[in-house]
Amino acid sequence: MNWRKLNRAVHRDAGYFCAALTIVYAISGLAVNHVSDWNPNYKIERVEKRFTSIPITSREEMVAALVDRLDLPGAPKSSFRSAPHLVDLFYDGWSVRADAQAGRATIERPRDRALLRDANFLHLNHPKGLWTWFADGYAILLALLAISGLFILRGRNGITGRGLWFSLAGLAVPVVFVVVMRYL
Amino acid sequence: MKKVLVLAAAIAFVVLGATAFATTYGKAPGAGDPVKLSELLASPEQYVGKIVKVEGVITDVCAKRGCWMAIAGDKEFQSIRFKVEDGVIVIPLEAKGKQAVAEGTFTKVEMTKEQAIEAAKHHAEEQKQPFDPASVTGPTVTYQLMGTGAIIE
Repeated sequence: MNWRKLNRAVHRDAGYFCAALTIVYAISGLAVNHVSDWNPNYKIERVEKRFTSIPITSREEMVAALVDRLDLPGAPKSSFRSAPHLVDLFYDGWSVRADAQAGRATIERPRDRALLRDANFLHLNHPKGLWTWFADGYAILLALLAISGLFILRGRNGITGRGLWFSLAGLAVPVVFVVVMRYL
Repeated sequence: MKKVLVLAAAIAFVVLGATAFATTYGKAPGAGDPVKLSELLASPEQYVGKIVKVEGVITDVCAKRGCWMAIAGDKEFQSIRFKVEDGVIVIPLEAKGKQAVAEGTFTKVEMTKEQAIEAAKHHAEEQKQPFDPASVTGPTVTYQLMGTGAIIE
């Protein structure tokens, strides 16, 4: 087998193997790139409620009064006051933040973004341990895909012709960004 | 044989159940006793730069990156921010309201008025809460734990 044939076979099979995870990482990459504009992991549902203000007493009394006023499903798992009039009530997977004086409460229910949270979990290497090894192998395969891809075609469209210009353009973009953003 | 299997299943259930309820994030905190937050905040300078362990209810979590959580103290109205390195430890939003034992380096954070306004604004935006710049009246000194690890419930 000559080296070009081997190169094509490596590129083809590594490509098949990496396809699924590349798509997962690409989707997650788009999602986490815009983390300042949205939450890529959770959709947080917030419901505002008004109630007749309650007197500032002990936390336990205030929690009981809030459960009653806001018609909450029983005592919370835990609670906290960051100030005498600000009470947090924590339930399983959701919480309430109430301003006892202003008679205003926000009920907050975070929900996972279906599949996206799983994609981010893998892409950002939250599992650590074994996944780190797998992700390292995947990264090496990606590099192999890129290098083998350069030598798939011969002639006018290959790396000595059109391919060279596109490869240089692809290299120029990050280089320009680094020079402009870091050194100028 | 059946009895042995039932017994083994029961033991596995108890063992796995016990571990399933507590998750370790980062490096597990050391064996020493936790320091009371009221004690830390009463004489903070004594602890700056030292590794301390605290214990309490998680009252807030960074909603976007899971890069910090607030832990309530033993006294009312007190909490401390447990800050972790982005991506190294990720605290899930579901941790809110759960009990945590967390360890890290006790750190002093000094900010000018402008920096404090910017930080408070950023926090309010992240938590989708209203923000009034007038609520920051001057330079601030706060303390936080630069977290190395935590066990949550």
